[in-house]
Amino acid sequence: MAEVFVKNEKSYKTKKILFTIGVYVFLGLVTISVLIPFYWMIITSLKTQTMIEQVPPIIFLKPNDWQINNYRMLFELVASGPRRGEPLFPFFTYMGNTILVSVITTIGTTITTILAAYAFARLTFKGRDIVFAILLSTMMIPGEIFILTNFLTVYKLGWYDIFNQTYSDAILAMTIPFMTSVFYTFYLRQTFKQIPNELYFAAKVDGTTDFQYLWKIMVPVAMPTIVTIVILNSMGAWNAYIWPQMVTAKDSYRLVSNGLRGAFTDTSTGRTDFGQQMAAAVLVTVPLLIVFFTFRKQIMRGVSRSGIKG
Amino acid sequence: MEKKNNWRAWLYLAPMLILMIVFIFYPLFNAFVISFYKDYQPLLNQRAAGITFTNYTFVWNNYFFKAALKNTFVLAFVSVPVSIVLSLLIAVALNSIPKVKAFFQTVFFLPYVTNGIAVGMAFAVIFNKNYGLFNAFLDWFGIEAYDWIGSTATWGRQITALMIFTIWDSLAFKILVFASGLTNIDKQYYDAAKIDAASRSTVFKRITVPLLSPLILYISITSMIGALKAYNSVIGLFGDKLGGKPRDMITIVAFVYQYRAQYANIGYYSYAAAAAVTLFLITLFFSALQAIVSRKRIHY
Amino acid sequence: MEIRMEKLTKIFISKDKKEVRAVDNVDLTIPTGKLIGLLGPSGCGKSTTLYLIAGLLRQTEGHIYFDEDEVSEMPPEKRGIGLVFQNYALYPHMTVRENILFPLQNLKVEKEEAKQRTYEMAELVGLQEMLDRKPKELSGGQQQRVAIARALVKKPRVLLLDEPLSNLDARLRLQTREEIKRIQRETGITTVFVTHDQEEAMSISDEIVVMKDGLIQQMGEPQDVYDFPTNLFVAKFLGNPQINVFDGEIKNKKIYIDDMIVSETKFPDQKIIIGIRPEGFNIDAEEKSQLVFDVNLVETIGRDTTLIIDMPGQEAGLLDKKSFKVIVDASYRIGSGHKVHFTVKPDKMHLFDLNGELLK
Repeated sequence: MAEVFVKNEKSYKTKKILFTIGVYVFLGLVTISVLIPFYWMIITSLKTQTMIEQVPPIIFLKPNDWQINNYRMLFELVASGPRRGEPLFPFFTYMGNTILVSVITTIGTTITTILAAYAFARLTFKGRDIVFAILLSTMMIPGEIFILTNFLTVYKLGWYDIFNQTYSDAILAMTIPFMTSVFYTFYLRQTFKQIPNELYFAAKVDGTTDFQYLWKIMVPVAMPTIVTIVILNSMGAWNAYIWPQMVTAKDSYRLVSNGLRGAFTDTSTGRTDFGQQMAAAVLVTVPLLIVFFTFRKQIMRGVSRSGIKG
Repeated sequence: MEKKNNWRAWLYLAPMLILMIVFIFYPLFNAFVISFYKDYQPLLNQRAAGITFTNYTFVWNNYFFKAALKNTFVLAFVSVPVSIVLSLLIAVALNSIPKVKAFFQTVFFLPYVTNGIAVGMAFAVIFNKNYGLFNAFLDWFGIEAYDWIGSTATWGRQITALMIFTIWDSLAFKILVFASGLTNIDKQYYDAAKIDAASRSTVFKRITVPLLSPLILYISITSMIGALKAYNSVIGLFGDKLGGKPRDMITIVAFVYQYRAQYANIGYYSYAAAAAVTLFLITLFFSALQAIVSRKRIHY
Repeated sequence: MEIRMEKLTKIFISKDKKEVRAVDNVDLTIPTGKLIGLLGPSGCGKSTTLYLIAGLLRQTEGHIYFDEDEVSEMPPEKRGIGLVFQNYALYPHMTVRENILFPLQNLKVEKEEAKQRTYEMAELVGLQEMLDRKPKELSGGQQQRVAIARALVKKPRVLLLDEPLSNLDARLRLQTREEIKRIQRETGITTVFVTHDQEEAMSISDEIVVMKDGLIQQMGEPQDVYDFPTNLFVAKFLGNPQINVFDGEIKNKKIYIDDMIVSETKFPDQKIIIGIRPEGFNIDAEEKSQLVFDVNLVETIGRDTTLIIDMPGQEAGLLDKKSFKVIVDASYRIGSGHKVHFTVKPDKMHLFDLNGELLK
């Protein structure tokens, strides 16, 4: 019996090494698959139309051959047509709109979230648990069902006038309906609950009001969570597509996602200028990646929390 | 004291509740109402008297709604299981190499933080029939060039392309969640399994998956619901046409938006509402399923 | 199966990059068929030693042999060991039966035989009736027994138990203690268990190994280690109440505590540390001995009486005075405040140098 044990030792080691190699190969393949679309986006944006249409496709492009013409074209002013005088891809307009919408929505969401999370975490009142359960149950509802009525509400509020919509109306329409988040409320409530009760009683003894306690003690203590909420929430506007499309009457009021699709296809010929399209895609992607690498930890922590469940 | 606290609490809740009543609860209720209106003209706020069920019969018999149901379900029932299995394997693989885990995890998370439309367009370039990377890749294996997303693409190829993009897009979140779920499993079970001479595949099948099963179930259901709402991915890959030939890849949500956009046509808004309510009921079914299954099956 | 460790060392690198020698150059032989208790305070390296034997940790240096078979480089599943974890680590989603069956399935034991062995094991630990329950439906003691059954079912060469009693309440602890001893006797398997509780170790072990700071302090039969501690640490670690420790001195072949002659000795003059077990005092009814103390407090429990006495040599009026304990026969009626003359039983007194090593 003893011999059997000894003999197995070598094959065990080989197996272990093989397994580790297998793991790295597998993860390497996944890495390539994950990165290819980004790579292809960038490389295509640096090619001329002739290079793009080459078969088989050019996979590697020497830095000397990089063309920045596509990027330059994006900012070139349109010579004729309804958008005469505007840049081909008004990146900075879209960026400005997106940032503005993002900032306003985030401020609103953060405030409503902090207040509600505080009430759910610290105050006792009749119906608290029921209200909380009802709010949680809305997380499962597809948001698409709200959009029909919300569009009408926005219209009735006068924020969407097809002919006379002002910029501020458009901004209101794009922000106000999205100033709440049940998930963030739930997330922050958990954090608030971990703050020991003694702190609250101590503050009470010192004559602090509830409201002061919230802003002077709880908010600073829960800052890491709030920062996560702020970052995740502000990234939302970058992906918003259908709603801004619906409630804005002018192209120049829209957000980056709206500007991207369809902007580079010649409607008469149906041909798409892939080089310019990918250049625009790169411009839209880069700011998000910068935000991601700056706040990597907070973002990943917050997102993994949303999966673990509420 | 008690009472005072009561109204104060509601004051804190007020901003959130008011917004939610206006933009979530009322719309939810109103969608049902609109779906039963006759000859509804939303912007004029006019309709015929009485209620009707014909909006539903119209939608359910509509060719494009049926196509949308098919596309959406295929997307949900194929891409979700595939991405769950893949992400589980990746998460387990990540966990076995703790030293470089953080690096890979960051790379794999990138799709989550990118603009879906922008990446969808990149995929469209990759799937291009004539000079796309995907066909070039298949060519290495001697497979001829197909049209995946263009006007000559078959339904099967289009949905395959759409699923590849969807899976690519959805892996990031699942990998992260599963990886953090794995780190929450007590290491002692793995030590015990080692002592019990369990092979790697046994450990995966009989320890990891069962212990992770509540999380797997939760993620399956939420991803399923997410997949039922597919829309942005179609726009990203195919543009407004929603397919190689128009509307080949229409989804339930796209159907809703198409009829919504035609609000000027009498009654169309109610069709959109009926389709949206149908979608809501389908997702409700899955949520209920999750509640029942997690209560019944997973207990320890 | 004899377990032999040669120059076994395990070094951990702590967070601040310091080396921690959890197990330090240990040479130890655990004889076949014995129940051995690895004993020491937390952080002494006993659990690390157990995990090294199990193969869940890899030694930094040294070798481990099971009889003549070197297992140092073997993965745990190849070593043929059974391990009972401190928290049992029962698979929560499996029934008792599935838990016990699991190792057999992994070893590809034929189905009928596996079933048979599972049942035998359940019988051995007295859980035949519980086979279809989930772990959370069992009491702590029952879970413990499932863990033992799971560890034993594959007929391991060695059984290892990590703090097997620490998660049980006091009553169950006594019961399980007997149970472990019985199972070990019935199976005759070489068994090593880890504990920080000296009473637990002494009550069931054939031999105990006392560890501190990764080093073995002493090994032997419990009573021998208790009676002949090789150093102050071992003397202090074994015995409840603890051994009394006095600063003393040898002058002219006589042992002094605070100018009182305790007894005579052959050792040369020096300052020493004197350890006297609480039961190591006799009351000198004739009041001739020089060892005289004022009794501070008396605790009576019927069988015997504990006298609590201020340590000599402390300033008067000091708050929080140190005291020592003397256990005497209950037939003596002594009240607090009494002056009592003592003699010391020579075999209950141990003399150490100032480093805590036994005087030789």
